[in-house]
Amino acid sequence: MMNSLWREHVLPFTLLVGLLALAALGGDFILHRLGLVWVGRYLGIPGTLLIIGSLIYSLRKRKFISSGNLKTLLTLHEFTAWLGSLLVLLHAGIHFNAILPWLATLAMGVNVISGLVGKWLLQRARQHVQGQREHYQLRGLSKPEVEQAVFWDAVTFDAMTRWRKVHIPIFFVFAVLALGHIISIFLFWGWI
Amino acid sequence: MSRFVKIILAANLLVLAVLAFVYPHLMISPGKLIVGHKALETDCFACHAIWRGADSPRCVTCHKPADIGLLTTKGQAVIKPLSSTPFHQKLVSQDCVSCHSDHAGVRRFRQPGHFNHALLQAATRDQCESCHKSPADSLHRQITGNCTQCHSQDKWVPASFDHDQAFVLDRHHDTRCVTCHLRNDYSQYTCYGCHEHTPENIRREHVEEGIRNFTDCVECHRSADEHDIRGGKGKGRGKDDD
Repeated sequence: MMNSLWREHVLPFTLLVGLLALAALGGDFILHRLGLVWVGRYLGIPGTLLIIGSLIYSLRKRKFISSGNLKTLLTLHEFTAWLGSLLVLLHAGIHFNAILPWLATLAMGVNVISGLVGKWLLQRARQHVQGQREHYQLRGLSKPEVEQAVFWDAVTFDAMTRWRKVHIPIFFVFAVLALGHIISIFLFWGWI
Repeated sequence: MSRFVKIILAANLLVLAVLAFVYPHLMISPGKLIVGHKALETDCFACHAIWRGADSPRCVTCHKPADIGLLTTKGQAVIKPLSSTPFHQKLVSQDCVSCHSDHAGVRRFRQPGHFNHALLQAATRDQCESCHKSPADSLHRQITGNCTQCHSQDKWVPASFDHDQAFVLDRHHDTRCVTCHLRNDYSQYTCYGCHEHTPENIRREHVEEGIRNFTDCVECHRSADEHDIRGGKGKGRGKDDD
């Protein structure tokens, strides 16, 4: 049971997260090869704007704004947050200079993964576990037998539910750390 | 989000904020400073101005332009200067960050050693030898000044001048530059610098062929081969005969 949930849902999800990491590393490699490292320095700006744009869904969901189709905004949330994160990862590169921006990057990574778990994986896992329960019930298994059959799936699902709860708190951490980084750039970078 | 989680989060972020002020060189600095600036690592505003970044007026409070290359910031004589001639005194403006940077994370991506000669005052800009040593090869040993006739101020190599385009230095012409370019003036040349060509024999030979315009030799002759005649020779002959 655990294998099926892992193979059908967790593994594709892992690949999706891996794609983000791969795109970031590949993009960083290309920028270095083309001598366009300076571009990465500025990718933090569109990346941040995209992530801020992705918050429209969060505001709509919590009724801070009343207009907009929730499903469309959710799709937009997923896309802009993923792309914004990719740009921020390219911006961060693989250069470890200061702690604050790296903590912000780490928080963003946790936030992205928790978001993907929350939406993409949790929904599928819920359907999968429910489907398994119905399948075993149709085969005439008793309720304790069904629960035993889907035990590991249920454990995995439960773990993912807890992981999902990290999404909002870690977003606040990410937002504050990113704000600290942005303020320091405004203070010390030569803008004019 | 529970109240407990909120308090934990707020406390952690507060600690991070305090750390950013106490240890800015670890928390927000883009890499280590150079050794000479180490004492400034917790005093960001010693070099940075809000919005303007690293600020030249703050640099010159320690690095006096009149002393750069001559005296250290502590007033001691520079024992091993980085350039043969002090030139900071001859810059059109004191824009330090156009050439210099600090922080390891920033310097890593700066093109090293690229100096924009436009920053030099006009009177100094063409005096290449006041800063640069002439190469010791057989060609450059013969040349004094006028570097810009062949070299640009953007980069030394490639030299922009190909002598073969004007005249191929073959056979007896592989000689000293001053034979043709008197006083190392490469904007002019003469073919009468050697015993082979004299105004008289050149005039006689050309007049015999009906050529009267023979002041600019390389207009027709581009090598030692006197039969390899290019340019307007054919036209010139007809015109002159007329």
